[in-house]
Amino acid sequence: MDISFKNVSYIYQPNTPFEHRALQNLSFDIKSGSYVAIVGHTGSGKSTLLQHLNGLLRPTDGQVQIGNFTLSPDEKLKNVMDLRKKVGVVFQYPEHQLFEETVAKDIGFGPKNFGEAEQEINKRLYEVIEAVQLPESLLERSPFDLSGGQMRRVAIAGVLAMAPEVLVLDEPTAGLDPRGQKDMMDMFYQLHKQKGLTTILVTHSMEDALRYADHVIILNKGTKYMEGTPLDVFTRKQELNEVQLDIPEIIEFLNKVEKRFAINLSYQGQSLAEVAQQVVEKLKGKNYE
Amino acid sequence: MSNSFIIGQYVPGDSFIHRLDPRTKIAIIFTFVIVVFLANSVASYGLLTAFSIGSALLTRIKLSYIAKGLTPVWFLIVFTFILHLIVTKDGEVLFQIASYPIYSGAIIQGAAISLRFFLLILVTSLLTLTTTPIEITDAIETLLGPLKKIKFPVHELALMMSISLRFIPTLMQETEKISKAQASRGVDFKTGPIRDRVQAVVPLLVPLFVSAFKRAEELAMAMEARGYQGGEGRTKLRELKIEGRDLFVISLFLLIIIGLVMTRA
Repeated sequence: MDISFKNVSYIYQPNTPFEHRALQNLSFDIKSGSYVAIVGHTGSGKSTLLQHLNGLLRPTDGQVQIGNFTLSPDEKLKNVMDLRKKVGVVFQYPEHQLFEETVAKDIGFGPKNFGEAEQEINKRLYEVIEAVQLPESLLERSPFDLSGGQMRRVAIAGVLAMAPEVLVLDEPTAGLDPRGQKDMMDMFYQLHKQKGLTTILVTHSMEDALRYADHVIILNKGTKYMEGTPLDVFTRKQELNEVQLDIPEIIEFLNKVEKRFAINLSYQGQSLAEVAQQVVEKLKGKNYE
Repeated sequence: MSNSFIIGQYVPGDSFIHRLDPRTKIAIIFTFVIVVFLANSVASYGLLTAFSIGSALLTRIKLSYIAKGLTPVWFLIVFTFILHLIVTKDGEVLFQIASYPIYSGAIIQGAAISLRFFLLILVTSLLTLTTTPIEITDAIETLLGPLKKIKFPVHELALMMSISLRFIPTLMQETEKISKAQASRGVDFKTGPIRDRVQAVVPLLVPLFVSAFKRAEELAMAMEARGYQGGEGRTKLRELKIEGRDLFVISLFLLIIIGLVMTRA
């Protein structure tokens, strides 16, 4: 589904001493099937933006278009349930939303609410449990007996079981160990490719934005600060530094190598180890006397 | 969760009322709650109203904000008034509404009781509007201090109060977060038959309880790790201090009470 924000503003608790402007005149477009990273400092409005994507919030001003659904300030969306079925949101620390007696019931909770048939839910159950790389033996266990990482996977499976067309991820790897973080991000990327999802990743991590996204939107104080392909955005170090953001390590490294040895390497999704290898090879080719 | 409900909500500020010692404020409000019932003439009600509105103005919080925040209470006030119109049968009949007689005594009494009610709510909400929960518990702890002599656990009580107050916003945030997560999974909290809506609360309450227990455990551990062991010999970061303005306000309030007694009918 195509998503577009047109001059969207959002104000929390308007007309009180606690009035707070979270989004200000924000406009952008997300093409169906793309992988977009939304990056910004704490308090830049990322979470507020995210809640517009499935109609949890309505803009105070402007308009949000998600597929055929329109969110506008003065009109309540009638078929908001249909929208929520199509847009799956994985919130920060999604394991906090687990509540059922068994993992299977918890995963089936979403689809059941959206009126899927029992048979269909069972079919999806095995699909998603495999997608999140959990053993089927866990299905009958209580979600509260699992480890933190497993609970997170169960919660994500619960969102995937809704079979959404748009997947919204809010810092899905926060609090996981480095290995778990990479596994999880790879898993989302695979799903994105496999199912042709439109994926929206809200993150602090420049590394993840660079590695997975085809489009990056940088937010600052509720407004759009920059937008473009990761490589475009991450060459503008000066501007990023101004909003307390930094370019990914690997880009920084390539820049420094270029400066120091006059070797020009472009970033093509290599890992840091691969880059090191390339640098070694290039250096060998040079003649230092 | 209505954001406009202001009872119990602190609005940061630096007004005269904000800077008063919390003990002064609590003592005055406690007395006010009692003396409100002394008023029985136009002059005495006028005095109390002037005092309440004056204090509200001194907080420098927008009056419209305070009034809006009292919205849920307006209903009760109006309800009280109407109840009096119907039930009280004093004085002479003023006019009739659909052949139902309205007495003059009913209007006077209804207005008096409603006004009394309004003043009570207004003044007590001024306390929480201008005093942080921490200040309030500190003040209660010192005010209840003498009870320690009869082995009443004053410090523990104050600690329990401040912990609960401290975690109200946290729990509210958590509730909002979880209800949003469940709403995203298709739970409908707002429409549908009552039965469904009651059932919709389960996916909200279970995670909330789980996290509240976890939080309590973590807090207890953190307190023990830092050697917390209760009231005896504990010093304070913020010492409460009675200053000139407190004495001034207390004397002013005493004068008002005297005035009140004198203007009684």
